[in-house]
Amino acid sequence: MPLKSYNKKIDHDLGVPLQDDYFYDDPEEIIENKSMPELESTARLVTERSRRGEKRVINGDVLIVGAGISGMQAALDVADKGYKVVIIDKTSTIGGAMVKLDKTFPTNDCSICTAAPKMVELSRHPNIKLITYAGINSLDGKPGNFKANIWRKSKYVDPDKCTGCDDCVEVCPVEVANPFDEKLSIRKAIYIEFPQAVPIVYTIDYENCNGCGACDRVCEPEAISFLEKSEEIEVNVGSVIVATGFEVFEPLEMRKEYGYGKYENVITAMQFERILSSFGPTDGKVRRPSDGNKPKTIGWIQCVGSRSEQLGFPYCSRVCCMYATKEASIAKEANPDIDITIYYMDIRAYGKDFQQYYDHAKDLGVKYIRGRPASVYENTDKSLTIRYKDTLTGKVEESTVDLLVLSTAIMPNQGNKKLGEVLGIEVDENGFFKQDSLLTDPIQSTREGIFLAGCIQGPKDIPDSVSMASGAAAKAVAPIKDRERLIGKEFPPERDVSNEKPRIGVFVCHCGKNIASYLDVEKVTEEAKKLPNVEYADHMMFVCSEDSCNKIKETAQEKGLNRIIVAACSPRTHGGLFQDTLMEAGLNKYLFEMANIRNHCSWVHSDDWDAATKKAVDLVRSSVAKARYLESLSEEEFSIYPKSLIIGGGVSGMKAALALADMGIKSIILENEPKLGGRLRYLHSMFPSDTKSEDIINPLIKNVTKNKLITVMTDSELEKLEGYIGNYKGEVKQKGNKREIEFGTIIVATGFKEIDLDDKYQYGKNRNIMSQTELETKLKNNDLKEPKNIVIINCAGAMDEERPYCCRVGCGVSIKNAKLIAQKYPKSKIYLLYRDMRVFGKEEEEYYADVLKNYHVTTIRHPGDRKPEVILDKKDPKNGPITIKVYDDILNEEMTLPADLLVLTVNTEGGAKTEKLKNMLKVPVDAAGFFIETHAKIKPLDFSTSGVYMCGAAHYPKNLVDSIAQAEGAASRAAIPIAQEKMKGEGIISEVIEDKCRGCGTCELACAYSAIDLVPHSRDPGRLVAKVNRALCKGCGSCAAACLNSAIEQKGYDSNQINVMIAALLEKEVTA
Amino acid sequence: MKLLYYPGCTLKTSAKNLEKSAFCIAETLGHEIVEMEDWTCCGVASSLTDDDLMHHLAPMRNLIHVEDVGEDKIVTLCDMCCNTLKQTNLRVKEKPDDLETLNLFMDRENDYKGTVKVVHFLEFLRDEVGFDVLKKKVKNSLKGMKIMPYYGCMLLRPREVSIDDAEEPLIMKDLLNALGAEVIDNPFKIECCGSYHTIEDKNLVSNRAYRITKFAVDRGSDAIVLSCPLCRFNLDVRGKEAEKIYNNYKQVPVYYYTQLIAVALGLDPKYCGFGDHAVDPVLLLKKKGVFEK
Amino acid sequence: MNKISDEIVNVNSLKFKKGELVKEIEELCGENLFGCYQCGTCSAGCPFIEDMDLSPDEVIRYVILDKKEVLNSKTIWLCAACYTCAERCPRDINITKIMEALRQIILRKNIDRTNLTNISKDEKESIPQLAFVCLFRKNVG
Repeated sequence: MPLKSYNKKIDHDLGVPLQDDYFYDDPEEIIENKSMPELESTARLVTERSRRGEKRVINGDVLIVGAGISGMQAALDVADKGYKVVIIDKTSTIGGAMVKLDKTFPTNDCSICTAAPKMVELSRHPNIKLITYAGINSLDGKPGNFKANIWRKSKYVDPDKCTGCDDCVEVCPVEVANPFDEKLSIRKAIYIEFPQAVPIVYTIDYENCNGCGACDRVCEPEAISFLEKSEEIEVNVGSVIVATGFEVFEPLEMRKEYGYGKYENVITAMQFERILSSFGPTDGKVRRPSDGNKPKTIGWIQCVGSRSEQLGFPYCSRVCCMYATKEASIAKEANPDIDITIYYMDIRAYGKDFQQYYDHAKDLGVKYIRGRPASVYENTDKSLTIRYKDTLTGKVEESTVDLLVLSTAIMPNQGNKKLGEVLGIEVDENGFFKQDSLLTDPIQSTREGIFLAGCIQGPKDIPDSVSMASGAAAKAVAPIKDRERLIGKEFPPERDVSNEKPRIGVFVCHCGKNIASYLDVEKVTEEAKKLPNVEYADHMMFVCSEDSCNKIKETAQEKGLNRIIVAACSPRTHGGLFQDTLMEAGLNKYLFEMANIRNHCSWVHSDDWDAATKKAVDLVRSSVAKARYLESLSEEEFSIYPKSLIIGGGVSGMKAALALADMGIKSIILENEPKLGGRLRYLHSMFPSDTKSEDIINPLIKNVTKNKLITVMTDSELEKLEGYIGNYKGEVKQKGNKREIEFGTIIVATGFKEIDLDDKYQYGKNRNIMSQTELETKLKNNDLKEPKNIVIINCAGAMDEERPYCCRVGCGVSIKNAKLIAQKYPKSKIYLLYRDMRVFGKEEEEYYADVLKNYHVTTIRHPGDRKPEVILDKKDPKNGPITIKVYDDILNEEMTLPADLLVLTVNTEGGAKTEKLKNMLKVPVDAAGFFIETHAKIKPLDFSTSGVYMCGAAHYPKNLVDSIAQAEGAASRAAIPIAQEKMKGEGIISEVIEDKCRGCGTCELACAYSAIDLVPHSRDPGRLVAKVNRALCKGCGSCAAACLNSAIEQKGYDSNQINVMIAALLEKEVTA
Repeated sequence: MKLLYYPGCTLKTSAKNLEKSAFCIAETLGHEIVEMEDWTCCGVASSLTDDDLMHHLAPMRNLIHVEDVGEDKIVTLCDMCCNTLKQTNLRVKEKPDDLETLNLFMDRENDYKGTVKVVHFLEFLRDEVGFDVLKKKVKNSLKGMKIMPYYGCMLLRPREVSIDDAEEPLIMKDLLNALGAEVIDNPFKIECCGSYHTIEDKNLVSNRAYRITKFAVDRGSDAIVLSCPLCRFNLDVRGKEAEKIYNNYKQVPVYYYTQLIAVALGLDPKYCGFGDHAVDPVLLLKKKGVFEK
Repeated sequence: MNKISDEIVNVNSLKFKKGELVKEIEELCGENLFGCYQCGTCSAGCPFIEDMDLSPDEVIRYVILDKKEVLNSKTIWLCAACYTCAERCPRDINITKIMEALRQIILRKNIDRTNLTNISKDEKESIPQLAFVCLFRKNVG
C-alpha cells in the first residue's frame, strides 16, 4: 500500500508533486466541471425520495431523543425486551457528555472504556435504529400512537462507503474551534468527533465548509457527495423518552469576576476533563493553555454559577464536588509535585463510596479550603491570583495558581424551551424539564406517554442517570406492552463441522493506518498462508466494514472454511460483529479466534517496523495453533418463569411492582411487616415538597393491592431459596405457615435501618433525646411536648472511624424536620449543628435556603474531629434540660446551647435481614450492609449474579425521587429476562471433570457469579464435587485458574488450547 | 442638543476643572450645557434603610425641578450625585406608595411624576454622541500614553443603576481607545477608593490609592483616568501622600476623562484646569508629545 | 475569643423593639440574614477588610447569634457602602444595607460616630465637599 503524504502535496497515484492550487478550487467550478459520482446507496435513495416528494417512514415502538449514556441505557433496556427503538442524536455520534470525561468517580474507571461497549452494543442491536445528526421537528398524537417528524441533516458523507480512514481531514483547509474538546483544540470542517465514535462516519459541518472539494478528491471509496440531501423522516411510535442531557455553564455573561474568557489559564472543569483525556488536546498530560507547560499549582473554584440566587442558578449542580475531587486526585496522583487546592463551600460527597473517595483525595495531598473566592486576577506570567477568605481560619488571603479550573454549573440546554414546545412538555423555572410530580412520579413528564431520563430533569451523576434511564424504559414500555416483540436475530442453520479437518481462514486488517503504517500486513498474510491447515489468507482495509464482513461470509462458504481468524483489534471492539458474521455464514460462533495485532502490537510497537511485523506473525501463528483445536460450543437455553419476586414492600418495592405490572408482568411482593409501606409509615412528610408521607404511600398501597398482576404477601419472610435465573423456587414463612413460590427474577428492595448509636450523644439516657424518625413519628401522632430550644445534631454515627460513609439523606431530613418543628412551634429556637450541608437533589438547595430564611433556623458548622458534646443535667438526667457544647468552626469559638429537645440525625445501615438474605441469594454486601452492585457507574441496579436486581435504600440510602427512579429502573432490568422468555447461557463455560475433583470448594470461593455449588458426585453420592451452573457461569475462567487439581476446564480456553498457543508463540519461523 | 445639567456641590468648588473641561467638550461637539435652576445638594450617599424616606427628599426635589422646566433628562458629571439621583429615581418608580408619601410631604413642590432620566456624562458621550464620532474629531492623538481607567464604585454599583457591566466595564476603555491611548487593564479598577474615609483616616485611603495604582504601574501604566471628584482627590492627593509611606512608590498623574478628551480634541488647556492637581498632569502630556503647546 | 475592643454602646442596656437584634436589622433593611451560608465572598472582596476587627460575614454571624457586641465593632463604620459585597453575594443578600442598618441602630440612639473638631483649614478647603456630606450622612444621626 503506497504511503500517502498530503502534507508534502504528492499525487498519491502518480507520485508526482501537486500544484499548490490543486486542493482549493471555487465551489462553483467543482459542481459545474466535475461530475458527481453516482452513489449507489442510501444517499442516493434519499435524493430520489426527496425528488419524488416522499418521506421515509419508520415504524417503531419507542422514540428516544438523545443518545448519551441515559438515552443509550434506555434504548438497550427497551430493545432487549424485544420492542423496536428509534434513537436520534443531534450530534454526529452518540455518547453524549460521558465520552468527554477522562475517568469517572468514585471508581476512577476510564469513561470511554465503560461507555464504548454500550455504544457498540447499541449500534449493532437488531431492534435499535440509530439516526445521528438529527433533530425532532414535531410530535403529534397520544400515548400508544405518536407521530414524530424527524429532520436528519445530511453529513454529505455516505455512511455505507465511509471507511473512517481520516484522509479527508488532512486536506481540509477550514479550521473550527472543536466543541468536543471544549474549544481547546481545532477540528476541520470535515471531522469525526472522537476516534471511538459510533457510527464511524465522517461528517461535513455545513456551516463552516467552504466547498473547496479537497476531501472529495482524496476520498478513495468516493464516499463524499455535496449533493446529498437532508431528509425528513416520519417515525411512528407508541411512547417517547427524552434524554437530551445538559450544557456546561460558561461564566461569560454572569460571574465574570473569575476571569473566564478573559484570562487564558482559567478553564472550566469540562475543559480540564479534555486535558486529562488521553485523546484530548494534550494527549492526557496536564498542561496549561497559555504556554503548554506543566502547571506547578492548580486551583479549583466550586459552585461557579450554582447555588447562586443572583448571577447564576439557584440549584446545586450535584456532581461538581465529586468531579473536582476526581480531577484533582487524578492530576495529583499522576503529578505528585503539583500543588492542588479546591476552594469550596460544602463538599457534597453524598453517594456510595463518595466520602471515602474524598477522604482518599485528602490523603493524596489535595488541599481543601472552605471559602468562596471573591475575584481572580492575572499576573504578568499568566498565573492567576485568587482572593478568598479561608472561613475556617478566618483570614482573608490571596493565593496564586498557574491554572485555575472553574467547576461551573450544569445548565439546561439552551434549546430546551423550544424542544419542550415541539414535544408539548413543560419546562421548569430553571429550564430543566418538569416532571409530573417530583415525589411520586419523577420520570413522567407533563405529557402522557413522554418520559424523562437523565440530566434533562435536573443535574445528576452517571449511576443516577442510568437508573433513571432504565426507569424511563420501563415506563415507556407500558403504553406499547402488547405490541409484537422480536428477540435476537435470525441466522441460517449451523453446519456440523465436527468431522471435518480444520480449514482455517485468516483475515488480516489494516485498520486504515492504525496497523498498516506500523507493520507489514502483507507479510503477515503471506506467512499465515504458509501455516498448515490455513486454506485462505487475505488482508483488508477494515475487516469490520460491511463489505469486508460480506467477503468473509462469501469466502467461508466458497472455500468451505470451518475456522475463522481475524488479526486486528481487541475482541471487545468488534468480537460480537465477527461472531455474527460467522453465524450468518452458517458456522458456530465459537469457531472464531482473534489475534490482537493492534492494541497488543501496532499501537505499542509503533517505532519498530520489523519487530512489530514479527510479533504480528507470531500472534497469528499462535491463533492458528489454537484454531485447530476450536470446537463448536453450544449455549444452553433456559426458560424464564414469567414472574418477579420483590423482597420488600416499601415505596421502592411497590413502585417496582407497579412498573412491572404496567409492562404486563406478574410479581410477588414479600413484606416482613403486617402492612405495606416500609419506612414511610413512620415518617411525617417528605422533602423538598413537604408532601405528607401517607399521601405518598396510601395511593400506592391502594394501587398495588387492587392490581391483579401483583400478589402481596405481608407478615412474610423468605426462608429458603433454590434455583437460578429464570428458575427460582422459594419457601416463604407467612404467619407460621409455609408457602412455596416460583419466580424468574428477584428484586431486592429491603431498605435500610438506623444504626445502633449505643449511647453516643447520650442517646437513650434522656427522654428528650431522639432520632429523626422518632421525632417524625411523635410529630405525626401529636405526641411531642412543646419545646422551646431545639438542637439538631447531624452526622450522628456517620463519617467516623467505624462508619466512614455519609448517610446521604440526613441533611435534607434535618432541614425538613427543622421546618416541621418551627411550623408547629413558631416561638421555638432551633440550632442545626452540621459538618457539611449536603442538600443536592432537585429543589433541595432552594428548599434549604427557604427554610433557613423563613423559619430562622441557625446553622452551626463544626469540624469533623470535634464532635458536639451532650451534657445531661446532674439533678435530673432522665428528664431534665440538656446542654450541648459545640465548636463553631467559622467563628472559631466554643458555644454552649441549652436544649429541651435534642434530635439526632442517625446514620443508616443495611436492613435487618440483610445477612440472612445475602447468603440465600448469594450476593455480596459491603461493610455497612448495603448490597454491592456489579458496576458502580453503569450497572447500579444489577447484581453480578444474573437474575437478581436491587433498588432503593437497599443499594444505599437515598431520597424518594432517587428511590422511585431506581425502583422503576430495577423493574425494567428484571423484566428483560422475562420479556425474552428464554435465555441463552454462555458457550465458553467451565466444566468440572468430576473424577478429578476433590470437592475442596476453592472454585466456589473464586466464582464472582455464584455459579458453582458443591453437589454429590453423580456415581458416588458420598463425596462432594463441584458443579457449574450453566445459566450463571459467565466464562471468566477464575475457577479453572484457581483449581489446584486442574479439575475444571474452560470451554474455548482449555489447557490444551492454551498450551499450543504458547508453544506456537515460542517457535522459530515455521516453514510450510 | 441642549442638555440640562445638575452640577452638585463639588463641581462648583474642588472639581471646577471637571466642569470646565466638560462644558468645553460639549460645546465643541455642538451641544449646549445649561445648568438647571434651583438645584440643591443631592445628599450623597443614597439612603439604605427601608424606612428612611427623609433622605430621598433632596434628590427627588431636584428631579421635580427638572420636570418643572419641561425636561425629561438630566446630565450629571459627579459620579456620586448620579448614583444618588438614580437610586432615588428607581426607588420611587418601584414603590409608588413611597412616591405618594414623598409627594404629599413636599406639598410646596409639584408632584414628581417619575419621568426624568438621569444620565451621566460618560453615558451621554457613549450613547448619544458615539465614540466613533469623537474619534474622528481627535486632533492630538493620545498615542504613546498608557492609561489605566479607574471606575470606582458609584458608576457601576448597584447593578440596577450601573452605566456599564459591574465586573467588566468597557466604557472608559472604548473611550480611551477612540482617543488613541493604550489601555492598561487592572482588576482593581472597580475597587473602592476609600470614599469619605479620606477625612478621618487618611492612611486608609493612601493605602487604597497605593494598591490601586501600583498594580497598573507595575504593568506599565503612566496615568490614571477617572470620572469622580472624590476618587480624583483620593487617588491624586492621598496617593501622593502614600509616597511617604511606601518606599519607591511614585504616584502617577490622575486625569479626569473630560480633560483628556479636551486635550485630544485640541482644545485650549486652560479649560482643563491642570493646576488643581497634586501630581502634575501636564508633565506627562508634554513628555508623551501629546501637548502641542 | 473577643475580637472587639471598642465600646461605643453599652450592649447590655440596649433594648430592641422586636426583641432580637436580628429582627430589628431585618426590619430596617429588609434583608433576611438567615439566608447567609458563610461562603466568605463578601469578606474576600471587601476593600477595607484588612482594617476590620470582624469581617462582614462574621458581622452577619454575630447578628444571627444575637451577639450584640457587634454594634461595638469597627467594621460597620469602616464600610464605605461600595456595594461590592452585595453585587457578588451568591445568596443575593445586600450586606451594604445590613451595615447601614447596624449603623442606624446606634445613630438613632443619638450617638454620633463623628465629631469633627480638629480638621485643618487646608483640609477643609481641599477635600471635596461631597466627602463631608457623605461622612455626615453615614456617621451622624
